Amino acid sequence: MLAALRGRIAAAPWIWSFLGTAATWLVTVSISGGRGGEEIISAALTFSAFTVLVSLGQMMVITTGPGNVDLSIPSVIALSSAVAMLVMDERAGMIVPGLAAAVAAGLAVGGANYGLIRLLRIPPIIATLSSSLVVMSVAIVLGRGLKIKPPQVFADAVTTKVAGVPLLAIVALAAAVAIAFVLERTLYGRTVSAIGQSRRIARLAGLDVERASLLTYMLSGGLAGLTGALIAGFSGGNSLDQGAEYLLLTIAVVVIGGTSVSGGRASVPGIWGAALFMFLIVTMLNASGVSPGLRMLITGLIIIGVIAVGGSERAPR
Amino acid sequence: MKALATATTVLLAIGAVPASAAETKDMKIALSNNFAGNSWRQAMLKSWETVTKQAVADGVVAEAPAFTTSENQATEQAAQIQNMILQGYNAIVIDAASPTALNGAIRQACDAGIVVVTFDGIATEPCAYRIAVDFKKLGGMQVDYFKSRGIKGNLLEVRGLAGVFVDDEIHDGIEAGVKADPDLKIVGSVHGNWTQTVAQKEVAGILPTLPDVAAVATQGGDGFGTAQAFKDAGRKTPVIFLGNREDELSWWKQQKDATGYQTMSASIAPGSSTFAFWVAKKLLAGEKLPQDMVLPITVVTQDNLEDQLKHTEKGSVTNVEYKEADVSGLLAGLKK
Repeated sequence: MLAALRGRIAAAPWIWSFLGTAATWLVTVSISGGRGGEEIISAALTFSAFTVLVSLGQMMVITTGPGNVDLSIPSVIALSSAVAMLVMDERAGMIVPGLAAAVAAGLAVGGANYGLIRLLRIPPIIATLSSSLVVMSVAIVLGRGLKIKPPQVFADAVTTKVAGVPLLAIVALAAAVAIAFVLERTLYGRTVSAIGQSRRIARLAGLDVERASLLTYMLSGGLAGLTGALIAGFSGGNSLDQGAEYLLLTIAVVVIGGTSVSGGRASVPGIWGAALFMFLIVTMLNASGVSPGLRMLITGLIIIGVIAVGGSERAPR
Repeated sequence: MKALATATTVLLAIGAVPASAAETKDMKIALSNNFAGNSWRQAMLKSWETVTKQAVADGVVAEAPAFTTSENQATEQAAQIQNMILQGYNAIVIDAASPTALNGAIRQACDAGIVVVTFDGIATEPCAYRIAVDFKKLGGMQVDYFKSRGIKGNLLEVRGLAGVFVDDEIHDGIEAGVKADPDLKIVGSVHGNWTQTVAQKEVAGILPTLPDVAAVATQGGDGFGTAQAFKDAGRKTPVIFLGNREDELSWWKQQKDATGYQTMSASIAPGSSTFAFWVAKKLLAGEKLPQDMVLPITVVTQDNLEDQLKHTEKGSVTNVEYKEADVSGLLAGLKK
């Protein structure tokens, strides 16, 4: 019985992030004296939606094996938000082209990242880091000294709620379901997992390893591009610094969510669990009023704790 | 290496002997900047470019290029300063990544006879000149303003980047003010990192746990995001002290026209880089200036909002670009 349960949990390492989320929420509500439990969940769903969208891309990249990581996400968000707002230019009719342009910018950066890795044989961590510098420079040139407002319709759409649930959260949930389907049921998805487990064997098995890698970096860039446009709509315009927090956050969310850092095994539900968890830790510590130094310390300890508990249940590879 | 440094010092010392007014036209001043990724820094660099370009055209100095490190790292900036020493700049103006981590490189520059002026992000190395902002006052004046409006009750504090000197100073100013006023109470504090989107996220998170909020103390770059969070939560907009960003002032103008909303806004002008430039120029010309100087805080009030907004570029920060005469005037005022 117990062994069966343990087996279940080992197969679903993401469960810990949801347990952590629930515990954090309970503590927060008890600190606030029972006030605002529902509103906290609503805020958590909204802001986690952004985190989920970018982290899904990061998860796919990390799943393609050791050393693969996308450090260009913050720059892509800065660039795509500027592109989206420039194209929309406060006109409601240009919302779709604006979103398309933002995604296209992200896809292009993703493709370029892969090009650097493949053609110049630069390690992904260096390739995406250096491309992020170039992308940020482009974003500075494009967005310098101007914060363009989103069209009112777009701003209303991204802040709207459907039956009490933020529309953004529904979009992010749909994206998560789609990625889960792709991972489990498509040749591309299975190839990504296979590459992460062993690139050599995947190639010998006749899988198109290079195409899958290219698509993965493009997917990560495209999702970051979309997120950049959505953040600009949500926050009243584009700015250069709005992606900065997503560099370490996406990596933390992927790892806490139970995706294997060494690749080969993704965990889509864990992305949602960990994104909510990361938001609620901050809310909990803010509500508790402890000093900033202590907040960082506690955040670090909690993250280590969750990974240690989740990790110890995993079968050795 | 040491011999080389000594030789450079001697050479520069010889070159520096006849230094007097109007002798700076062959001299070179460099700007060392550690970060360019927000609107304040962009405006700061632009002001530097505008003012120094004119200064070079007028023959005040030979050249005054600006250099920004690609990563916001003290080690990288230290290396950049060492390069500037080798390139033979007469003065280096620095917006420092850290108050202490650049001290070694700054000491080397001073030893090589180079004038070092730090501003905004200042350095503690004694040989450097510091153009600081009284950040405590920037905190204190917010509480003073709330008091002058007769605001009583709960205060939310939106802080900057944790662990950074500026954040601690502004916070201390706010805290000291609140302590002296029994009518105000800080009920919550979040870190908005001087970034509208981060402030929006953090405030949205803590807001459900808070009772009614009467006023919000901020640090600049976070007021607009805070207002968005209050709006999204369906709460009444409190008095949010702003930080001179164009998006904040536009929002204020909208609220003022719609509901008669009143607040106040204050920050340092990005043009402080031009203040530092003229200080460096004066030092090169042989003027004696105090090692520590204080920059004035730029304030926007209910009455001059429209006027200031007109002069604030879209997406930028309310700015003041200094002329040499302005700096002389301000420094004369300091000496009193």
